[in-house]
Amino acid sequence: MFDAIAAEALKFTRHRATWGLVWIWPIGLVLIWLLAIVLGGANSAPGAGEPTPAAWIADSVSFWNVPAQPFGRYLLGAFVAVVFAGEYGWNTWKLIVPHRARNTLIAAKYVVALGLLAIGFTLAALLFSLCGWIEDMVSGDPIPAGIAMAALAKAHGLAALACVAPVLLTAAYVSFTAILTRSTVAALVVGLVVTTMEELFRSFAPVLELYAPALVGALYQILPGYHLANIASWLKEGTLAQVPFPSGLFSAPVGSSLAIAGGWIALFVALTFWRFRRQDLN
Amino acid sequence: MNDIGAPVLELENLGKTYGRRGGGVNAVRGVTLSVGAGEVYGFLGPNGAGKSTTIRMLLSLIAPTSGRVKLFGRDLAVDSSVLGRVGSLVDGGAFYPFLSGRRNLEVLARTHGGGHQRIEPLLEQVGLAKDAKRKVKAYSTGMRQRLGVAAALLGDPDMVILDEPVNGLDVAGIQEMRALIRSLAADHGKTVFLSSHLLNEVQQVCDRVAIIHKGEVVRESTVAGLLDQESSGLMIEAMPLETAETALALRWAVERRGETLLVAATRAEAPELVGRLVGAGVDLFALTPVQRNLEEVFLAITAEEPADV
Repeated sequence: MFDAIAAEALKFTRHRATWGLVWIWPIGLVLIWLLAIVLGGANSAPGAGEPTPAAWIADSVSFWNVPAQPFGRYLLGAFVAVVFAGEYGWNTWKLIVPHRARNTLIAAKYVVALGLLAIGFTLAALLFSLCGWIEDMVSGDPIPAGIAMAALAKAHGLAALACVAPVLLTAAYVSFTAILTRSTVAALVVGLVVTTMEELFRSFAPVLELYAPALVGALYQILPGYHLANIASWLKEGTLAQVPFPSGLFSAPVGSSLAIAGGWIALFVALTFWRFRRQDLN
Repeated sequence: MNDIGAPVLELENLGKTYGRRGGGVNAVRGVTLSVGAGEVYGFLGPNGAGKSTTIRMLLSLIAPTSGRVKLFGRDLAVDSSVLGRVGSLVDGGAFYPFLSGRRNLEVLARTHGGGHQRIEPLLEQVGLAKDAKRKVKAYSTGMRQRLGVAAALLGDPDMVILDEPVNGLDVAGIQEMRALIRSLAADHGKTVFLSSHLLNEVQQVCDRVAIIHKGEVVRESTVAGLLDQESSGLMIEAMPLETAETALALRWAVERRGETLLVAATRAEAPELVGRLVGAGVDLFALTPVQRNLEEVFLAITAEEPADV
């Protein structure tokens, strides 16, 4: 298994998709920050009020919201599409399939794709915190007293955990589409559409309930959109997400949300393995 | 010819049907053959005959609909780890285009779980040492083909499967490939399963051949045996030619070619032919068997086989 992962890593550390869709997170973030400094530096207004330690920490870990949002999921979905469907485009499955169990090859792809994304996100989040700290130092804004490294690390950890489920879910359905369609473009498009539909349904379900209450209610409970938000809310704020519907306030226990989100992820991952095991590679 | 050992590859009634039952297409039907250790085995067939489908089944790239593949005595469906003893060149140009030739071999060595120490010698052997740092997308077809051979030999396999290995090679490259294939069997004891449409190459390097047509193996023989079986006849010079033609036409098809006759008789029938000529009072000056080359034999066999699939 280690060799299969090493082979996969050798491939993708040199692929431009890794630069354009993974390393773009830390690189892009620094570039945006520098641009903001250059454009807005003259207008900075120190002394706007010292934030509380909790607010400063919350602000400094706010990058972790991005991978869980549609834009972040589009990018990570595109990377997963390249990792899983690329072999069909390059016609290279027949180069490696005879030498490794198919399950091992797919598992290695998950490890490498998610590993590279985790490194990219972590680097970007740490740089985001560092940039905020440097900015405060340069602009003369006081960094609130009483900020402990342990509290900052914990906040990073919880924020990172909160984006695990959306990242895994996106990777799961994009990888399945990639294996099913054998096409990077198809996987990318399906990933984009599903992510958008999931977000739209989560946002507009309270309105749609007026027209089809039973159906919308059932879908809202079964589909992963609300449950991802509920898990994130529970991890970051310690509270359950409550959504006002015309029929009343909707909320679910975090255990249910974990089970449903986990179920969707497991389903798509299992389908990916199953489909690839049975697939003819002509 | 190489000394042929115990079977290392056995295909038993192997079949592949694409599509639904009833309306499916039989790409391969009941292919049964056996390849011995140290043998160079040619697998011939026109485009669409089922060569590539068969090769993909014996590499576990596609699943057979019926029958089984045994490699080194192990059923591939039960134990696919035996593929670790097989090197293959399928679709010779299929490599990661964004990686260099060397990096591609490194990825493959990692996938194999070994073979790093063979990368440099193999790059030298296939003449790519100087271009090893270049990305594969900049390689010519011939260079990709040579990299494919290096990839096939990377794991020091006991058996090598080469699908159209001389595609894209120039004349010198073809000669080198021919020498390499011979050397693999003769000097290194490897078994070679070779598919090619260049029948002259097959004739020169293979011990035995199977001809597949419309998904079925229609002939399997040693190359010499096949050429002998399929010899086109006996050429004779005799006087008087008209008397000879009359005497022989009672028994065989006879075709006049200038001052000679081409008689559709086998070598085994030569004594009978001579007896008839002598009995007719004809003076026989020369009798020469006409040997077809593999290409002519192949075309004759694939033309005569039924077309129902």
